[in-house]
Amino acid sequence: MDDLEKAILICFDESGGVDSVLKSQAIAFIHQIKETPSICSICVEKLCFSKLVQVQFWCLQCFHEVLQIKYSSMSPEEKSFIRKSVFSMACNENVNGGGNNYVRILEGPAFVKNKLAQVVVTLIYFEYPLIWPSVFIDFLPNLSKGTAVIDMFCRVLTALDDEIISFDYPRSGEDVAVSGRIKDAMRGQCVPQIVGAWYDIVSMYKNMDSVLCSNVLDSMRRYVLWIDIGLIANDAFTRLLFELMLNDGLPDQLRASAAGVVLAVVSKRMDPKPKLVLLQGLQISRVFGLVAEDRESEFVSSLASLLTGYASEVLECSKRLSTEDGKEVSLDLLNGVLPSVFYVMQNCDDDSAFSIVQFLSCYVGTMKSGSTLTETQLLHLGKILEVIRSLIQFDPMYRNNLDILDKIGREEEDRMMEFRKDIFVLLRNIGRVAPDVTHMFIRNSLDRAVSSSEDRNAEEVEAALSLFYALGESLNDDALRTGNGVLGELVPMLLSTRFPCHCNRLVALVYLETITRYMKFVQENNQYILMALGAFLDERGIHHPNVNVSRRASYLFMRCVKLLKAKLVPYIETILQSLQDTVAQFTRLNNSLKPSLNNSLKPSSGAEDGSYIFEALGLLIGMENVSSEKQLEYLSSLLTPLCHQVEVALSNAKSEESLSYVGNIQQIIMAINAISKGFSERLVTASRPSIGLMFKQTLDILLQVLVVFPKVEPLRCKVSSFIHRMVDTLGASVFPYLPKALEQLLPESEPKELVGFLVLLNQLICKFSTRVHDIVEEVYPVIADRAFNILPRTDVLSGPGGGCTEEIRELQDLQRTFFTFLNVIAMHDLSSVFLSRKSSGYLDLTMQLLLHTCCNHKDILIKKACVQIIIRLIKDWCTGSNDKEKVPGFQCFIIEAFATNCCLLSVLDKSFEFHDANTVALFGEIVLAQKVMYERFGNDFLLHFVSKGLSNVHCPQDLAELYYKKLQENDVKELKSFYQSLIEKLRLQQNGSLVFR
Amino acid sequence: MALPNQQTVEYPSFKLVIVGDGGTGKTTFVKRHLTGEFEKKYEPTIGVEVHPLDFHTNCGKIRFYCWDTAGQEKFGGLRDGYYIHGQCAIIMFDVTARLTYKNVPTWHRDLCRVCENIPIVLCGNKVDVKNRQVKAKQVTFHRKKNLQYYEISAKSNYNFEKPFLYLARKLAGDVSLHFVESPALAPPEVHIDMAAQQLHEAELAQAASQPLPDDDDESFD
Repeated sequence: MDDLEKAILICFDESGGVDSVLKSQAIAFIHQIKETPSICSICVEKLCFSKLVQVQFWCLQCFHEVLQIKYSSMSPEEKSFIRKSVFSMACNENVNGGGNNYVRILEGPAFVKNKLAQVVVTLIYFEYPLIWPSVFIDFLPNLSKGTAVIDMFCRVLTALDDEIISFDYPRSGEDVAVSGRIKDAMRGQCVPQIVGAWYDIVSMYKNMDSVLCSNVLDSMRRYVLWIDIGLIANDAFTRLLFELMLNDGLPDQLRASAAGVVLAVVSKRMDPKPKLVLLQGLQISRVFGLVAEDRESEFVSSLASLLTGYASEVLECSKRLSTEDGKEVSLDLLNGVLPSVFYVMQNCDDDSAFSIVQFLSCYVGTMKSGSTLTETQLLHLGKILEVIRSLIQFDPMYRNNLDILDKIGREEEDRMMEFRKDIFVLLRNIGRVAPDVTHMFIRNSLDRAVSSSEDRNAEEVEAALSLFYALGESLNDDALRTGNGVLGELVPMLLSTRFPCHCNRLVALVYLETITRYMKFVQENNQYILMALGAFLDERGIHHPNVNVSRRASYLFMRCVKLLKAKLVPYIETILQSLQDTVAQFTRLNNSLKPSLNNSLKPSSGAEDGSYIFEALGLLIGMENVSSEKQLEYLSSLLTPLCHQVEVALSNAKSEESLSYVGNIQQIIMAINAISKGFSERLVTASRPSIGLMFKQTLDILLQVLVVFPKVEPLRCKVSSFIHRMVDTLGASVFPYLPKALEQLLPESEPKELVGFLVLLNQLICKFSTRVHDIVEEVYPVIADRAFNILPRTDVLSGPGGGCTEEIRELQDLQRTFFTFLNVIAMHDLSSVFLSRKSSGYLDLTMQLLLHTCCNHKDILIKKACVQIIIRLIKDWCTGSNDKEKVPGFQCFIIEAFATNCCLLSVLDKSFEFHDANTVALFGEIVLAQKVMYERFGNDFLLHFVSKGLSNVHCPQDLAELYYKKLQENDVKELKSFYQSLIEKLRLQQNGSLVFR
Repeated sequence: MALPNQQTVEYPSFKLVIVGDGGTGKTTFVKRHLTGEFEKKYEPTIGVEVHPLDFHTNCGKIRFYCWDTAGQEKFGGLRDGYYIHGQCAIIMFDVTARLTYKNVPTWHRDLCRVCENIPIVLCGNKVDVKNRQVKAKQVTFHRKKNLQYYEISAKSNYNFEKPFLYLARKLAGDVSLHFVESPALAPPEVHIDMAAQQLHEAELAQAASQPLPDDDDESFD
């Protein structure tokens, strides 16, 4: 072993056993060798004599690199040397003509041979057909040397496709041209000979070396796409290919490769007429029987693709051909192949099923809804439905896993849900073209499932219900309401049913989902309301023993209440009674439980779900047509115990366990919040003030939470969202509570919390505008102080490589919200807030920030918001009279800085994209700003803008005058389009040439 | 297969090659596994890091030697030489950078040239980021090449185990193989928005029912 070989081995060694100094020396050494002028002969030498695969690989890598980087600067001798050496190796010849102990690359591992193929293909890229026209022709006679050279020839052809021809990889225009050049030359020169060689090899070796033949066929498959199809789709070759498929004595892999070639032939892009002749000529029915072989085998899966591909192609022909051109023939072929496709679908793995489902969707797509279907079509649809039903059934062996939802169960459920999605699309398509067939099928499935034996019962019921549920997604409102035909029968039947397997989690869940989906039918048919309520309230729903089911039932119940609430008034008492235990459980839980610290800070997701019951109850109780006394009674029965819980928790909070109450309080606030959603502002403030009073008392108590736990983020968050709700529900009567609330919520300096606070203020300003003037004036200086401390003065940059860290995202979020806040202030007649005694110190900073943002910010919408703010400030602060300025220096700032930088220079920049809709809207605001400036400042603005601004960017005099004229006219739209054309002209002029853009 | 010079353990071990464009999160991904972090060695000059990661399955312990080829795009190094004797692979792209997905076929080709017929997982990383550029429904490559696809978020540990589990099953030839205890992972740095993720996954499922885009412009002869 010489130094180079040692160095290469060291470089490849990642075992951790090599000294790092030695390793860097080795790396430096091989790097240096690579740069020597004689590197090519060094590599050839090594390839001839070194048996170390790493060394062989490295040398071939060197060739590849040298060719790619230096080809154009290499001497003809050097090129010829590489060409000859590489070709000799590929043909298993001795490169140097030396003795007998030279190394044969073709006897080495696959990765070295593939690397050699890559080098040959790199030469082909540069040299075929001009410099090295004989590469393929020279190869062919060498094939008689035996399997090693044939195998190498295959690898070269496969690499040629991968590296140069195939469209699977991104390629430059130049590379595509090279690919075209090579294909054209090969077609003209050697394709028939190559195909001949393929035929001879497969015929000769099919019984001796099946792996070789399989590789030949796999490589050949890639070429069918672009060579003359007649070379393959002829009697001799087709006979050979079918012979391979039909011979069950041959290895699977070879038969699969043959099927792959036939699939490529079948998929060849052709006009439909010759295509149909080709498809018919194949006599594909010869292989139908083979699908019954071992379903796990590679061949059967390959055959499945072939049959599906064939079926898709005949379907395509039938769509494109007229009756006289062979539509019937193609339909016959289709009907012939379909039973095999169904068989395959029933028995194949998920992957094949996927493409079959795709094909069947196309097939069903050819049937138009409403048209009469033929007997055959109906037969096929029925068959497809049956296959669907069997495919979507869980295996009973997972029953227990799925019920307790352990890891295996969860995985199986995920897999099935994923798998079902495509199949259900197909189901719905069938439901559309043949609704009656589909509905009958589902009813029969349910019947069959109920009476099936216990060992499959749960799975069959689950599958049948899932079909019914999936079908519902495609039914329109009308169909759901009227429940035409079988539907009207199915829904009541379902509502009154208790399956023996109802305790099964999946059955119970899909049952509830299904009745929820068909609830519109109940809405139209009041006689079923009580039955529907029963399904949710008894042990099929909220009282189901499985907690997952009962939680989901709470949510679904809430959705039903939303839909049916007007009709539920007579049942409120009943509902409350049935839920008494569940509601009490919610409060009792908190009463009795000494919560442990570790689960108190993050309530389980169950708590989130628990609140849906309260939302449902709120919706019911909050209706106007519940009498005033009843309403008060119901609400108080819910709120009083919940508030009491909070008070107890707060009074105990002084003790050291205080944090342990956090989780409970959070849950209670969510429940209260959920209840309040059912009550409208009008009811609470105008018609039933006593209800309003109850919510105010609740608010009082919850604000105490902020006092006792000022720093507990989850609680602040929950209370804050309750305040949001109360702003909506209580309207202006929430005012007395705001100072205290805002004082407690005003955050220290965390961006996230500040965002939350600004969102609340934005809500207040949007709802009450000038009525919250004093409040905004009070908090603005504090917020401005925090915001300017946290936010950078320029854009919030993204991280390295365009990536974003969470902190950067938070800052961006804060920046966006802060600008929205400023915008909301300005737009709601509150701009005087910026001028108040305590705030005026921030005015300068604010204006600089606004100016910078409207010129430079990346987010167009933020830019627009800032321009809008400035327009508003101009209107508010500059009255147009010549009196003393309201805000000294403002006019000057606007004319000198804003007008030039934002209205002119930022727009002139090429990044200002006139094809983008948001940018166009921003441009509209910028033009409007000029109009407003002209209105308010008159010639002061105009003189500066024209003489300083426009003339500095070399605007021609006539255009400047035209601008002046357009500005004076009263047509903003016209001004906008003129100004755009002006900007575009100025851009061209700046670039000095038309070509640039 | 015994790797030349690789330190050996008494339980089955496999060489796993991780490839993909720079910045797609390959290194972050392997470093989530804490035992890996502990034993890792670092070769900054060549730009490959080998992390031995252990997993506990119902059939016993297994080890993946993860060859994280980070940074090699820039440094050159041995490039596809690192793939030699690879027994399984992960191709990573970044769902927030379209180009990294466009380059997936090339990574796949280069990998298969050196490692014929190995199980490969395609991973779309950074699904925790809100403005993704490669939507779930645009990911179709795995279907053409029979790869497994997972959406992951290295930062939030979302689906961390999935690629390893798939590869373990393929290598063991046992579809029911499962991990019996979760590997120790570094705590998530971000929490994934599950609602948004479910939306993406719904999209993915919907996309699965779409035909593959036609990308061969070859006209018939």
